[in-house]
Amino acid sequence: MPTVIRAKFIVVGDATVGKSSLCQVFHSDGSFFNKAYTMTTGVEMVTKQINIPDTKDSVEIYLYDSAGKEIFADHISKFWDHPSGVIVVYDVATEATFSNCQKWLDRVRQTEPNLHIPGVLIANKVDLDQRRRVSPKTGKDFASSHGLAYFECSAKEMQGVDAPFYFLANEFYKLYQERIETLKSLS
Amino acid sequence: MFDVASKLAGAQIVLATSCDDRYPPENIIDGSDETFWPTTGLFPQEFVLTFGSMMEIKRINLACYNVKRIIFEKSEAPEPLKFEPLTERVLEKTDRTLQHEEFSIPGGTHIMHLRVLIESGYDHFVSMHKLSIDGNALHG
Ligand SMILES: Nc1nc2c(ncn2[C@@H]2O[C@H](COP(=O)(O)OP(=O)(O)O)[C@@H](O)[C@H]2O)c(=O)[nH]1
Ligand SMILES: [Mg+2]
Repeated sequence: MPTVIRAKFIVVGDATVGKSSLCQVFHSDGSFFNKAYTMTTGVEMVTKQINIPDTKDSVEIYLYDSAGKEIFADHISKFWDHPSGVIVVYDVATEATFSNCQKWLDRVRQTEPNLHIPGVLIANKVDLDQRRRVSPKTGKDFASSHGLAYFECSAKEMQGVDAPFYFLANEFYKLYQERIETLKSLS
Repeated sequence: MFDVASKLAGAQIVLATSCDDRYPPENIIDGSDETFWPTTGLFPQEFVLTFGSMMEIKRINLACYNVKRIIFEKSEAPEPLKFEPLTERVLEKTDRTLQHEEFSIPGGTHIMHLRVLIESGYDHFVSMHKLSIDGNALHG
């Protein structure tokens, strides 16, 4: 039987950067998706299973999308618990959404300071060419200095949306394989 | 007393929430701590062990890795249902060595099924290497 790795990816970023749109586009294209449902005020979860190239294995993604400031309320702690990966999103046309990425990332990493949490940085709304305020270089530099992989997307034009999700799923799968190798050397 | 959780004593893993065929849950009760059952992501995780017959148990010995909070529950019913709390613990993190834990069980504890719940871990993935349980078969 193929192995199914399960991963919880949380999507963070300022309001209106396009988090929900990205989740929507990612999960609605394929045939393997479940209904979206609201877990509790301000958090939505969708699942999607994707295959890992050159293996029989797959990663079942539990994608948690957050809405607004509610995410900091106590009853939303389930959102922050044990993330397998993090997706930080900003809007290339709004400088402040980029500056706030640091804050979002800190919030994620502070929950499990000793845990390596793979992550991606998404520069969204690249279709807004004329209004772009954050350059690709600025985005890339931030990403690389924080151990994130950098992706440019347009949820509106459905451009490049799948890539960051597939990348993160593959990273998490690799992490599983690395851990298995460690376990073989213990006893 | 003997290891009532061993395959030789008729114990079986009847449920496990993670499945990688290369590392099956039977590895937990094969008597070796070199073979293991890894979880494949997310918490909580659990497995259920059914004994060969009703047992009286005295002590649980566990070797595992990166497990944080673990809960044991027992059932005396014929089917693995109606679980009741047995014991639980938050384990210390270890670095590149297995966690070895012993749980003393009050006298007169009878058990047909054991449910082991891994509530949380120190990593994305944790592993169970060896479970052995000192006890005796109940007769009559
Ligand atoms: N131009 C453009 N608009 C987008 C894009 N993605 C999302 N939007 C719009 O931005 C607004 C907020 O999107 P939403 O997904 O609700 O953002 P959220 O608050 O981060 O979940 C909506 O009006 C979307 O239609 C994009 O790639 N390009
Ligand atoms: Mg939203």
